[in-house]
Amino acid sequence: MNLETIRDQLTTKNIIFGLLICFFPLLMYAVDYITLLLSYRNIYLPTPSGDYILRIVVQVALYTLLAVGLNIVCGFTGLLDLGYVGFYLVGGYTAGLLMVRLGFSYWMVLPLAVLNGALWGLMRGAPTLRLTGDYFAIVTFGFAELLFRMVKNEIWLIGDINGFVKNIPHVSLFGIKLNQNWHHYYHILILLALVIFVTYRLQHSRIGRAWVAIREDEQAASSMGINVSRYKSLAFAVSAAIGALGGAFLAPFWSIISAGTFQFWESILILCMVILGGKGSIKGAVIGAVILGSLSEILREVLSNFPQFSGARYLLFGIILVLLMRYRPDGLIFKKT
Amino acid sequence: MEQFSEQLINALVLGGIYALIAVGYTMVYGIIELINFAHGEIFMFGAYFAFTLVTDFNLPFWVAVPISMLLCAGIGMLMDLIAYRPLRNAARLSALITAIGVSIGLQNLARIIWGARQRPFPSESLPAFLRQGIPPSEPLPAFALTETAIALPGGAFLPYRDLCIILLALVLMIALNRLVSLTKIGKAMRACAQNRVAANLMGINTNQVIVTTFAIGSALGAVAGVMVGVKEIIEPTMGYYKGVAAFAAAVLGGIGNITGAMVGGLLIGFAEVFGAGYIPYGYGSGYRVAIAYIVMIIVIIIRPSGLFGKSTATRA
Amino acid sequence: MKNWLIGLLVVGLVSVFGCQPTSKDQQTTQGEIRIAVAGPFTGNAAAFGEMIKRGAELRAKHVNDAGGINGMKLTLIPGDDTGTEKEAISVATRFATDRRILAVVGHFNSACSLAGKGIYKANGIVALSPGSTNVSVCEGSDWTFRNLYRDDFQGEFIANYIKDYMKAFQTVAILFDNDDYGRGLRDGFSAAAEKIGLEIVASEAYDRDNTDFKAQLTSIKAKNPDLIFISGLYGQAGLIAKQAREAGITAQFFGADGVDSPDFLIIAGAAAEGTYLTTPFTFELGGEKAQQVALSFQEEYGVPPDTWAALTYDAVGMIVEAVEKTHNKDASLAENRKAIRDHLASLDTPEEGYKGITGLTYFDKNGDTVNKPAYVKIVKDGEFTTAPDQVLD
Repeated sequence: MNLETIRDQLTTKNIIFGLLICFFPLLMYAVDYITLLLSYRNIYLPTPSGDYILRIVVQVALYTLLAVGLNIVCGFTGLLDLGYVGFYLVGGYTAGLLMVRLGFSYWMVLPLAVLNGALWGLMRGAPTLRLTGDYFAIVTFGFAELLFRMVKNEIWLIGDINGFVKNIPHVSLFGIKLNQNWHHYYHILILLALVIFVTYRLQHSRIGRAWVAIREDEQAASSMGINVSRYKSLAFAVSAAIGALGGAFLAPFWSIISAGTFQFWESILILCMVILGGKGSIKGAVIGAVILGSLSEILREVLSNFPQFSGARYLLFGIILVLLMRYRPDGLIFKKT
Repeated sequence: MEQFSEQLINALVLGGIYALIAVGYTMVYGIIELINFAHGEIFMFGAYFAFTLVTDFNLPFWVAVPISMLLCAGIGMLMDLIAYRPLRNAARLSALITAIGVSIGLQNLARIIWGARQRPFPSESLPAFLRQGIPPSEPLPAFALTETAIALPGGAFLPYRDLCIILLALVLMIALNRLVSLTKIGKAMRACAQNRVAANLMGINTNQVIVTTFAIGSALGAVAGVMVGVKEIIEPTMGYYKGVAAFAAAVLGGIGNITGAMVGGLLIGFAEVFGAGYIPYGYGSGYRVAIAYIVMIIVIIIRPSGLFGKSTATRA
Repeated sequence: MKNWLIGLLVVGLVSVFGCQPTSKDQQTTQGEIRIAVAGPFTGNAAAFGEMIKRGAELRAKHVNDAGGINGMKLTLIPGDDTGTEKEAISVATRFATDRRILAVVGHFNSACSLAGKGIYKANGIVALSPGSTNVSVCEGSDWTFRNLYRDDFQGEFIANYIKDYMKAFQTVAILFDNDDYGRGLRDGFSAAAEKIGLEIVASEAYDRDNTDFKAQLTSIKAKNPDLIFISGLYGQAGLIAKQAREAGITAQFFGADGVDSPDFLIIAGAAAEGTYLTTPFTFELGGEKAQQVALSFQEEYGVPPDTWAALTYDAVGMIVEAVEKTHNKDASLAENRKAIRDHLASLDTPEEGYKGITGLTYFDKNGDTVNKPAYVKIVKDGEFTTAPDQVLD
């Protein structure tokens, strides 16, 4: 990327967008300040507070990170991963357990969790290299379910029942506790930027082209001299590492994790994000995550008044999957690159 | 010994249930190579339809079951028409994702229609021999027959209902095998499975054959659903949990093979029951649900074609 | 793009300079007091959530019919945590940062209470749970309370009850739900049983997504226990009772408050007969006030209330009482929220305790309810009735 391409990117729209992202917490706290002032006059806006919106945005950003990670396996190499939540789990528990039980600092735990995630990705990848299509999907599904049962049953390892890791300490940086929502915001923003940057560079490198070649035709790729198993393993490792990174962020962000967080539905939710935006496109994954992440929140608000429609949220996800596959298999927004 | 024989019966019954569901997965896969994730949901709908017909419409059980089968066959056909047929020539991944979408959609549709509450099949609506037995006050001699069950030597009972499940699985396996090998539609099915395009060129209406397969598989799924509803309980997630285990069974037996589904179902049933019954320190029972997954993963990795399947190294 | 930026700026400036505070912060909107209720209104635990919502709504109706809180109307704000931590955290943030909400009643699932704990603490708002029984729900936060007992108390209670009142039953097998509730209860039970010399011959797990328990039951049967303690929820407990009788097990069943639901009777059918279970509350022994509430609940919703509705009814009542006693129109939101907490924390002796329909509630320094009795029920002729032997002080 040279100076000119950067200059080309500096349009008014992009600058405003960038500023909005950078100063979003400030805007939200300004909203809160205004509501506070209005409340002196007994005027109450029916809008949710800025702090809450900020929190939701952090949550959505976390999903975005996961969607970008899943996109590497699902989008680039074209294998359906139904057990992505397993790596999220690995990251979460690596971070949570090391921080709570061994007192490690977050900054030490973060790379360890990522490495551990990559390791699990390779471990799962090794026996499944030969598998494609349906069988690969089923094995990944079974793998995540096994991990889920494991954290429930191996009490000696987790230290509490039902996979509870409680009282995970806040991240601290130079002695400052990062426990405010704007701390979390910039924290996840940096991680997300990093992940997107790495994924982007990978996508537009030899490796990314090899992945797409494997997706399009594994045999042809192999006969062109691409080492299929190596590139596939790499994709598994990178994807898993990103999932674990998300988990490592989650642990101190929530300060509690439990087995219930890492169920099959979570995998499906992330998969929906990837597919909605368009498999194989980073932008698509981001947009899919933003749409579904916020939709989830809005639906909760609406549905809590209609308990009989308790299943409506996931019914909608099911319909989205079917309709997209029928009419826009390459995603709602973008064409496959 | 007593414990062993009782566990054996437990395993047979559970295996029979899995086999009944697995047949549906295997039939569809055999013909269009699609993992019809939503088959578990059809199974669940079968149970709910029969339940609603019996409770809200006051129909007798023997009328409710065939209607439920018809309704499920209808859903199966609709599913193929709306969701799968347009994707028949699309990427395999798209079809699989669609199947997952249909499955999630149907499961939550059931949650909206019937609620998340667990419901037992109302006992009074069942024929006498399928009802839940009231345990007699004094122990019965071995192999004495009560109104609902056979007394076993150790004091346990084998309900006729459970016996029905095992018999039903056996009868269906034989009947389906005969259907596929002897009838005209069976011949068409085999032709479609071998090469859909060629079958089409030979004048076989492949779409019709596929729809028929969906209808038969779904109707059988409905029977399995009713049996499980009578034996255990009806809830929106029943299709998901039992479905996954049954799918594991189908893979284990060699997906696409009807006898394989039966054998696979029994094996998964045995693995689950004997694992939970004999692995000590709570490990067996704690990991009980996971046993099916473990078996499935091992089989797929070592022998993707299963026990009875045609040997192909990978499936694309 | 520029227009709305300028617009925003203008609105901001106007609100900053135009609205100089006349008095101190008032969060009572037009004579209204807002209390949030968080629970699993949708999702797998929706059956519990529904009763919680009804219990809370009934209390609000009673309060408002009686003229409100110091003349102000009580409004409940529901928040659906779907029984998952993820949603619980969103809901908690939503409530904690809402300038109109004074206190929160919730959450129900222990995992949700634990997830919300940190947020409520950081924002200084009370969360009073009518349903979370996990041991550590109230630990480490001054802002979390609950008005029912903990899992370990209940487990210990059941072990002691069997020892003291059911002397014919010497050996016990446990079948427990493999999650926080079932395991927590089992741990409490096992520890107490070991202490008092009750022999545990088997302890098997099951998963809530399972419906066939024959394998576990057959292996329990080989150990020939006198009593089976089912540490789990009513749905699976009903199936376990049914399948145990089919497996030829004649042992007595004992369940905990998770079994306390009419659905248990429906699912287990004849097999439920004679089952003992504990509950934090029973309307039969709850006195006249409880009977009246039960009656008006039945009138309002057409079904009898359950334990959770009663506990929520009381939880809302406790918050209302705290608001009544401490609310100061001229104080800031934070001060008013703090005053509610201080009032709850001051209920630390039996004399000071809150007398609700579920009995006397008072807290220890953690915010856990102490000395609230457990009642024992027994299934007789297909209905729950109060057991003849009760441990009451």
